Amino acid sequence: MLKRESSGSRARPEPSEPGRRVGLVAEREASIRQRLIARDEQALVELVELATPWLLSVAQAMLQDRDEAEEVVMHTFRIVWENITPDAGGTAGLMPYLLRVARHRAIDRLRGQRRRERKVAAAALEWGLQSIAPVEPDEAGHPGWQVHAQVHAAFEALPAEQRTAVQLAYFEGFTQSEIAARLGIPLGTVKTRQRLAFARLRTALSGLKDWVL
Amino acid sequence: MKAHDWFVEHRVEYATRILDGDDIATFEAHLVNCEDCRREVSRIETELAWLPMSLPPATPRPGLRRHIIQHVLEDSRTTGRRWLLPAAAVAASILLALGGWAAGRQRAQALENEVTALQARTAALEDTLSVMRRGRILQTSVAVGGRRGGLVIFADETTHRWSVVVHGLPPAPPGTGYQFWFICADGMVRGSAILAGAGGSTMFTTGMPETGGAVLGAALTMEPLGAATGPPRGKELAHLML
Repeated sequence: MLKRESSGSRARPEPSEPGRRVGLVAEREASIRQRLIARDEQALVELVELATPWLLSVAQAMLQDRDEAEEVVMHTFRIVWENITPDAGGTAGLMPYLLRVARHRAIDRLRGQRRRERKVAAAALEWGLQSIAPVEPDEAGHPGWQVHAQVHAAFEALPAEQRTAVQLAYFEGFTQSEIAARLGIPLGTVKTRQRLAFARLRTALSGLKDWVL
Repeated sequence: MKAHDWFVEHRVEYATRILDGDDIATFEAHLVNCEDCRREVSRIETELAWLPMSLPPATPRPGLRRHIIQHVLEDSRTTGRRWLLPAAAVAASILLALGGWAAGRQRAQALENEVTALQARTAALEDTLSVMRRGRILQTSVAVGGRRGGLVIFADETTHRWSVVVHGLPPAPPGTGYQFWFICADGMVRGSAILAGAGGSTMFTTGMPETGGAVLGAALTMEPLGAATGPPRGKELAHLML
């Protein structure tokens, strides 16, 4: 997880005509949303094409199980297909809405199946921020890479101890008590690190509105 | 009973779902009656909405996308059928119990839902039509398995969007799928997968790809299901140049 050493170490696709692209982004999202509401199956195809790699990444990181992660992704699209509304996702947009649904479903699954205990026991034997590494695909083939680069840079800019506290909780689903036990630090310290980290991230990410949809 | 300060202090933890399970339930009960916390949680969720994209994308297993699409659509249709009879029975009971007043009210609600769906469909169609009206038309025939269909592109050079119509194609053979491509200056860039073979035409509206340089044309291929990324590997069925 979060394997890349730095956000600037890889070649990035050049943004083509940024001003034009931003306009198209909003138009395309509105178009997909309207067509989903109108039950246009091709809109679902487009959404699945674009969003699956990102949703799968989140679900896999949390569940550490590819089959379960795929089920979560499938369930996410089913929820969106059956419940999409004109204001789903609020001002953040369609893609953040999908990410949130997928992450919440993954958390439900983690907690509902009591996988937590097994995971903690396994992790105790093999300490380290190890997880199933999402396969890094051809960048050019994945719309959204530029958003990923910005978010990843914001995350990497956090002090290491704050980054670890957020990573274990947000991306791997550990509770604050479990993190405190695992890192051997007081619970209050975990909370403080997470709050500081999230405050920084809120500031860094609040202006990020662009996406490929 | 927790003081309001506790909820204020834990808004971020709730919004990011890193609270323990019991505390989540407590927080959700509090949210029902606290407009301030609801508004603030919503704001935090929006601000951190992109955080999951800190992770690099994962490559889906071959065929996963098609499996998801088929599963979602089939499940949706099945659910609709499964609930049809019980829903009708419940509706009938309600109508009997409450009489004409309830019937009128229910009818009004149903009509309202229909209007909402129709408005959404109309907006989608208007969007597509706007592209078609302004678009330059490119078309070619496509022959697959003895059937002759076509690929039509309405290329709107004002908004840089295309409405693409694929018609008359039979279902793709098992293990394959139809795939739309942009022919770009730097090579082929994958567009949308095509759901075809349901008996009618398939239409979608798409923007231009962000990568690959200038768009020179488009192509339609039949790809093996495992080829979710990378250049075309399957048979080219049609291509159009601008």
